[in-house]
Amino acid sequence: MANTTTTEIPKKYHDAVVRWRQTYLPDYDYLISNWERFFPRDPEFRLCTYRELGMPCAVEVGQDLGKPKAERACEMRPEAAQHLIAAIRAQASTEFGSIQQHQLTLARAQDEEEQAMVLRMMAEELRHGYQMLSLIIADDWQPITGQSSEDTVEEILEMQTGSHVLGAFNVDFESFVDNIVFCALIDRVGKYQLSMQKVSAYAPMADSMPQMLREEAFHLATGVVPLRRWVVKAAQGSPMITMEVIQKNLAKWVPRGLEMFGDERGGATNVKLGLKPMKNLEAQEQYRREIEKVVHDLNLRYLRARLPELNLGAAEQALAELLRDRGTFRGVAFEDLLPRSPDPDAPGRLPRDARLSRLRRRLARRRRRREERRGSPALHAGAAPGRRRLPLLARRALGDRRDGRFAGFSGPFRLIPRATARASAR
Amino acid sequence: MTETALNIRSLSELDLDDIVRIVEKTRDLYQPDLWEDRVTYYLRRDPEGSVVAEDGGKVVGFMLGDVRVGEFGIEEPTAWIEVIGVDPDAAGHGIGRALGGAMLERFKARGVRRVRTMVDASMPEVERFFTALGFEPDTLRPYVKRLAD
Repeated sequence: MANTTTTEIPKKYHDAVVRWRQTYLPDYDYLISNWERFFPRDPEFRLCTYRELGMPCAVEVGQDLGKPKAERACEMRPEAAQHLIAAIRAQASTEFGSIQQHQLTLARAQDEEEQAMVLRMMAEELRHGYQMLSLIIADDWQPITGQSSEDTVEEILEMQTGSHVLGAFNVDFESFVDNIVFCALIDRVGKYQLSMQKVSAYAPMADSMPQMLREEAFHLATGVVPLRRWVVKAAQGSPMITMEVIQKNLAKWVPRGLEMFGDERGGATNVKLGLKPMKNLEAQEQYRREIEKVVHDLNLRYLRARLPELNLGAAEQALAELLRDRGTFRGVAFEDLLPRSPDPDAPGRLPRDARLSRLRRRLARRRRRREERRGSPALHAGAAPGRRRLPLLARRALGDRRDGRFAGFSGPFRLIPRATARASAR
Repeated sequence: MTETALNIRSLSELDLDDIVRIVEKTRDLYQPDLWEDRVTYYLRRDPEGSVVAEDGGKVVGFMLGDVRVGEFGIEEPTAWIEVIGVDPDAAGHGIGRALGGAMLERFKARGVRRVRTMVDASMPEVERFFTALGFEPDTLRPYVKRLAD
């Protein structure tokens, strides 16, 4: 029960989001029909916008501190409006982008409850994207972006893994461990961004944040709670999950989370313009401390599962000794634990040259896909869709024909299995 | 420690280990699975309905609750306080009172008119605690039927 008003965006946009959902979140209907089973007595999910009532009316930070918050973009300084629309676009991109990533490996969950939690989280991310679209639609951004709201919405709904604004949302998931670690680490960055945007000098943005933050609290639990249970399984020798796998995934996502805060030296402009209360480095440092706590608590949970005879005090002392001496305690080695402070420069983060090279490869992949969509599937036979990807691509292509403009795929698209494409290339 | 030094904030998933620790210290029960389920439940339903108290960055107490409609036929949105825990090392410094006060303020700000809880009669100190917060006996009474020993 919160003090909010709810609305739906105009029908043509609402329908576009529903069509997007049918393509990228095909398990939505399963979630809704099983809602009561997984989340008994929770209010039913609803695709709508929430605007918090009773939020501060005056600018809370920056050079216009104390002045009335803007209700329209045209009331803002042009520089502030530019930063704001970029942030809204990026936020929308992350919400839709994460669903595309989660969908890839959702079916690989080993536990029905964990899968349902991720599925609910995906539906709520869809609502967050919808909320951001509502900010674009309800105002006139053309003088700032040179683009109509309609075109901006279409541009966002067209984005796919590989073309999203932020790097973390352009990475394909490889297993359900990605789903969970992503929730624990990348959604945590989301929490920071939403918390900071809660003071935005643009009232519709600030008022959008509280409900999103409420939902984000559950998304973080969707990551952390399964991780806590997985370290116990790892301690019990489960073949399904090991500390090494968890560590590998932490190393994969921590650097990407840190990157999402932007340049460590930046953020002052956003503070000056009243859009955020913290510079990048300050927020990043708080985030880093939270990750350290998550890792510490996972290690303690692991150690107590390995050595159940230890009481709280003994386990805490043993963990402290292991981390300090890097030795072994009753058969548990320092190397068995997760890294105490995931190093942003270690395994996951590639050197600048390697990152640029990876970006070039990604762009080349996108170019190949574009060419294939234009009707040259045999041109890059190795990149043609395999049997597993075909149904997804088919849905997209059919959606294109059925839905017209907002389906998001305007070029002709041919579906040719990889084997056939290779044969015709020969 | 003084009550003014306490920081009362909403519950988060990061508090899980602290809650497990406080319960273990007070009841000598290590039940991480149970608290993972419960914390997830409260975060899912009403993350602002539960609070923790921090002293110098360390969690020293928690209070879990939420706002529900239709419970026991009560159609009016009603807040329920369900669990309270205070680190025994920090007891006697008004942490429970601070948590309770913050919870009641939050519920009031959200337009809730009734806050309910249940107290075990074998724990008079808990009854005194809620009485001090302004709670009084209600017409709603708990009943139990034992189906097995």
